[in-house]
Amino acid sequence: MKEKFEPNIIGFLCNWCSYAGADLAGTSRIQYPPNLKVIRVMCSGRVNPIFVINALQQGADGVLIGGCHPGDCHYERGNYLARRRMAVLKNLLEYTGIDSNRVRMTWVSAAEGHKFAEVVKEVTEDIRKLGPMQHFRRENKW
Amino acid sequence: MVDEKTLRDAVKKTVGRKDVKYVVGYDKGTTGFQAAPTFAYEEKDAEKFVFNPTCVNNLAVYPMLEDKPPLRKGEEPDTRKIGIVLKGCDSRAIVQIIQEKGLKREDVVIIGIPCTGVIDPKKLKVKFPGQHKSVEVKYDNDKFAVTVDGKTQKFSKDELMPEKCKECEYPTPIIHDILIGKEIKGVKKPDYKEIEGFEKKSLDDKWKNWEKEFDKCIRCYACRQACPMCYCKECMVEILDPQWVRRSVNLSENTAWNLLRAFHLAGRCISCGECERSCPMDIPLMKLNKKITKDIHEMFDYKAGVDAEAKPLLAMFKPDDPEEFIL
Repeated sequence: MKEKFEPNIIGFLCNWCSYAGADLAGTSRIQYPPNLKVIRVMCSGRVNPIFVINALQQGADGVLIGGCHPGDCHYERGNYLARRRMAVLKNLLEYTGIDSNRVRMTWVSAAEGHKFAEVVKEVTEDIRKLGPMQHFRRENKW
Repeated sequence: MVDEKTLRDAVKKTVGRKDVKYVVGYDKGTTGFQAAPTFAYEEKDAEKFVFNPTCVNNLAVYPMLEDKPPLRKGEEPDTRKIGIVLKGCDSRAIVQIIQEKGLKREDVVIIGIPCTGVIDPKKLKVKFPGQHKSVEVKYDNDKFAVTVDGKTQKFSKDELMPEKCKECEYPTPIIHDILIGKEIKGVKKPDYKEIEGFEKKSLDDKWKNWEKEFDKCIRCYACRQACPMCYCKECMVEILDPQWVRRSVNLSENTAWNLLRAFHLAGRCISCGECERSCPMDIPLMKLNKKITKDIHEMFDYKAGVDAEAKPLLAMFKPDDPEEFIL
């Protein structure tokens, strides 16, 4: 029997909003797909594009970046800077032939547990449709 | 046409100044097929300076490449200026470096040359394969005149110019201390037709194309060394802990390197084409850079290397930046 493809998604969630939102989704016992592996960062502005490309190299099929809503950033401007960076990066990936839906960005506040679950469901389904990321996976051969 | 005598006089005068360490410019090169960067430390060195269509290198890399060894006890830092001979496109690199505060305006003396277009050495090589004899390349009104063995051949500019010259917006250096000859007004506009055409292809076609190109890469990092904007003290590919990009040459690491190199030039690339010229494997790196240049122009209405007072693109934001991709 062929196994169903389960996408592997890395989530970079900001400490102050999205991570707390994910926490709320958990404590409120909202069901959402287990495909997201969360990495806590202090701010979405901390997410260097090198993290995204490295994740895609090392086995992630998609990357989700979560930050505070515009204007709510704990560091005032980190999410705005991340938004610019990701806009450029997504276009660059699309241009090289990697579906830009593999890199997603979202604003989730600490009070939006439901929205967090919805976003994870949507991203997981989108990436499940895209299939495994095989463009430039790192081969660990020695 | 650039009068070489005026250029040499300007170099002499600059090198003669007490507060100038040296002047970087072009000399004829070994055969004359491609001008080589050269340095003038004294006034007599200025005699070897030339300017002809083969002066394609971007000399703006030199002030950033210079080693600054730690000072001995009681030693004063050398704060003398560096003189550079710059074409219009090259001057944008200096503007961008000043904008990023890599250099101060008073650190450099710019000898600006209004340029009517240079020759792409790769295109010239195709016309004269295996040529080792001495060559003379000159401007001849609207053409390039190449003289080998006393025989002169004329080529139209479109035939030999690199892509960057065909759409040059700033033929006259944006900032300069001395200008050789008359100012030239830029009339050409960047042409994004090729990029737009490529964007319309399917994802598979695009990846197949880039897979082929990235697979060629031998990771010599010539693109980085030739680039005037790549002057990080420690490049991200050389960081060992954590090692983001491995040193092995394979498709995965090559793709990571090429994408990240292009991304690090977002809002900084001044389209001088040095990366592509120096690439020994002929990877069309400017296609990546140009795509980003086009995107940031459309999305953020930003152009790199024009205004030294502006803020760097990725260090600022507007509340109404595009965000239709955000969930």
